[in-house]
Amino acid sequence: MQIHKSKNKQDKKKKKVKEFINIGLAGNANVGKSVIFNQLTGLSQTIGNWPGKTVEKMEGHLNSLGYRFNIVDLPGIYSLSTYSLEEIISREYLVSEEVDVIINVIDATNLERNLFFTFQLLELKVPMILAINQMDILRKRNLKLNFERLEEIFKLPVIPVVAVHGTGVYQLLEKAIELVVYHQPTSHYIQDGKKIHEQLSNNDKKVNNDLSIKERFHFPDLSSILKYGKEVETRIYELIKNIDIHLEYFSTFNYPSRFLAIKILENDEEIEKIFKANQKTIYIINLAENYRNELEELHGEDISTIISSEIYTNIHKIIEKVVIVKARGEKKLVWAEKLDHLTTHSFWGYIILILILAGIYFFTFLIGGFFGGLIEDFFEVLSNIIYSIYGEDDLWVKIFWEGGLGGFFGGLSGVLVYVIPFFLIIEFLQDSGYLPRAAYLMDRFMHSLGVHGKTIIPMILGFGCNVPACTGCRIMETEREKKISIALTSLIPCSAVMAVVLGLVGRYVGITWVLILFAINFIVIIITGKILNKILPGQCTELIMEVHQYRIPNYSVILKQTWIRTKEFIFKALPIIIITGFLLEIFFIFRLLDPINFILSPITVYWLGLPAITGIFLIYGILRKELTLVLLALLANSMGTTLLGLLTPLQMIIFSLVSMLYIPCFATIVLIAKETNWKYALQIAGLEIGMALLIGGIINWVFFFI
Amino acid sequence: MESLIKCLIDCLIGEKLKVLRVNAGYHAKRRLANLGIIPGVQIIKKKAAPFRGPIEVIVKGTSLVIGRGLAARIVVLSDNSK
Repeated sequence: MQIHKSKNKQDKKKKKVKEFINIGLAGNANVGKSVIFNQLTGLSQTIGNWPGKTVEKMEGHLNSLGYRFNIVDLPGIYSLSTYSLEEIISREYLVSEEVDVIINVIDATNLERNLFFTFQLLELKVPMILAINQMDILRKRNLKLNFERLEEIFKLPVIPVVAVHGTGVYQLLEKAIELVVYHQPTSHYIQDGKKIHEQLSNNDKKVNNDLSIKERFHFPDLSSILKYGKEVETRIYELIKNIDIHLEYFSTFNYPSRFLAIKILENDEEIEKIFKANQKTIYIINLAENYRNELEELHGEDISTIISSEIYTNIHKIIEKVVIVKARGEKKLVWAEKLDHLTTHSFWGYIILILILAGIYFFTFLIGGFFGGLIEDFFEVLSNIIYSIYGEDDLWVKIFWEGGLGGFFGGLSGVLVYVIPFFLIIEFLQDSGYLPRAAYLMDRFMHSLGVHGKTIIPMILGFGCNVPACTGCRIMETEREKKISIALTSLIPCSAVMAVVLGLVGRYVGITWVLILFAINFIVIIITGKILNKILPGQCTELIMEVHQYRIPNYSVILKQTWIRTKEFIFKALPIIIITGFLLEIFFIFRLLDPINFILSPITVYWLGLPAITGIFLIYGILRKELTLVLLALLANSMGTTLLGLLTPLQMIIFSLVSMLYIPCFATIVLIAKETNWKYALQIAGLEIGMALLIGGIINWVFFFI
Repeated sequence: MESLIKCLIDCLIGEKLKVLRVNAGYHAKRRLANLGIIPGVQIIKKKAAPFRGPIEVIVKGTSLVIGRGLAARIVVLSDNSK
C-alpha cells in the first residue's frame, strides 16, 4: 500500500507547483514546539489527520517577509524508528515533497537527548535549521552555549530562541528563506548588514515547490559528526554501495541511501518493506542481516544499542565543546521539584489525582451550566416570541424551529458550553506537565487491566468527551494496548452522560445513588479490562515515558489550542447535531419510530422495568447520550408534568445506568472503527449493551423482590 | 570501594548507578537505547511508584519512567563508594 502510494506521489510530483515555503517543525515532546508554532501561525491553525492515519496533523500558515509559509507541527518524538505510528509518519512526511525546510526545535536544557533526534534528522539530508529553545532557562541555570561553535559543527543555521517570549522565532523564517533561495546555509552571504530577504527582488520570491528545493540544496558534509565507529561504518558503506546500484528504484522513496542503509542494518520493519517490494533488492536484507549478526557478535550488544551508543558518544563530544558552565553548579527549580514530589507521593499523589478529576467535572459543569442556562433562557424568550407570532400549531414552524434552531441552541447550550471549559482544563493539564504523573501513579493498576499507565491519559480526556479521547489512544504503542485503551476509554462517563446522571438521579434521587452509579461504572471498566486482557492475544508491554519538569502553563498556547479545538467542534460536530435534531423532530411529529418501542418493549418494559417510550429515547441516545434526558424532559413537558411524574426513582436509576453504559455514542463507535476496525467497534458496542442490560436488569429485579 | 551488580528495582532511591545490560526485547531495548539507557551510562534512581509501580530514573538530565517489569531487566552496577 505504502509503496504504491509513494509511486503515485512520484507521478504527481512534477506537476505540482506551490508558492509556499513548507516548514516541518520537528523535535522531542515538550520542547516548546507548539509555542513556536503558535507564535508563528497564530489563529490560522487547523487540525486535520494525516492521510489515512489517525494521528493528528497540526497545520498553520502565515505571510512574512514577502513569502508565504505553510507550517506543520509534527508530533513530539524521540527517534525516527518505528516505535510508534507518529515516528513512521514523521519520517515519511519529512522526506516527502511537502517539506522544504525542517526546523528542529531543541531544548537547550536537555541538549544531549534532543541532539539524538537531531542526528537522526540530519541523516534525512533535508534543509534544516536548529532552533535552540529555552535559552532563558539555560541562563538561569548558569549555563551558556557557544553558538558560533554550534554552527561550525553542524554547518547549518543554529538560532537561539526563547519561544515563550517570541525571541528568535522570526529569525527562523529568515533562515528558512536563505536556505530555500541559496540552496545552502548562507551566513556569509549577508552583505552590508542587509538581511537576505531585503536583498531579494520580488521575482526571487517565487518559490516553485516540488522536490527541487531539496534536490538542489547543498547539504553540508557532516560525516565528521555523523560517522559511527569503524566496524559499523564499513558495513554501512558496503550497504550504501549495494543500495546505490538500485538507486533508480530507491530514489522513489526520497530517503537518502545512507539513511536506508542504517535503517536496514537496524532491522527497521518499514524500511525492510521497501527492500522486500522489489525482487532485485531483497538480497540486501540478507546482507544487512549478516552484517548485523557480525556486529552484534563483535560488540556483544544488539544493533540498536550499538548504534545508539555511538550516536551518544558523538553527541557527547559536541556537548563538551559547546556548553560553557558559567558558575559552579546548576540551579534547579525548587517549586517544580516540590510539586513533582507532592503529585507523585504515594498518598497525596492519589488524593491530588482524585481532586483533579473532580475538578475537571466541577469546572466544566460550573462554567458550562452557567452559560448553558443563559443560552436556554435566551432560546425560551425567542421561542415565546416565535409562537406568539405564528401560533403553536404550525407544523412547519415547529419542525424548523424546534428541530433546526432547537438543535442549534441545544448544541450550543448542551454541548459547546461544556466542551470549551473542558478543553481549557485539559490543555492546562497537558501544558503544565501533569498528565505523565497520573500515568506514573496508575501504571501498576492499569497493568491489571492489560495496559500500562499511559492509558490513564486518554481516560482522563474521556471524562470530557469520548470521541477525542479515543483518538488519544494512539499514544499506546501496540495494537493490543490501543484496543484495550479504546474500550476502557469508551466506557468513561463523558460530560454528556454526566448530564444525564446528574440531571436525573442527582436531581431527583440523591447524590448517594450518583456515587453508586459511578462505582458500578468503575467496576464495569475493570471487568472489561480484565476480559479483554484475557481474550486479546499478546502481552502487556512496559511503560517507557519521559516525565517533564513542571512549568507554568503558557496561557496563549492554552487559549489558542482551546479555540482551535472548539472551532473544529463547531464545524464538524455541530452540523451533525443540528441535522439530527431536525430529523428527530420530523420523526417525532410523524410518529415514525413508534413501532420500535413495541419491538423493544420486552427489554425495556419487562426486563428493565422502564416505560415503553424510553426504548426510542435509548435509540436516540446512541446519537448523543444527553438526548436521553433531553427527550425525557421534553416528553414530561408535553405531558404537563415533571420528570418525577414520568419515572419512579428506581426507574431513573436504571435509566441513567443504562444510558451510562449501554453503548458508546455513534461518533465514538465510528471513531473506534476508524482506529481499529468495524468488527472490533461492534464487538465493544455489543459487550457494553450486554453489560448494561445485565446490570440494569439485576437492579430492577433485586428491587422488585425486595 | 564496594561495587554491587543488581537489577534496577532492587536499588535504593537516590542511588547513583551505571547501566550494565538491558535484557529486554528488541523494541523495548531500542526505545531505551534511543532515550539514552545504554550500557555504561550513569543513571540515578529518583523514585519508585507505590504499590510496586514503575521506577523513575534520571538519565542524561531527564526523568524517565520505566515500568517495573522492564526495570527488573535492567542490570546496573551500584557504586557505593560515592
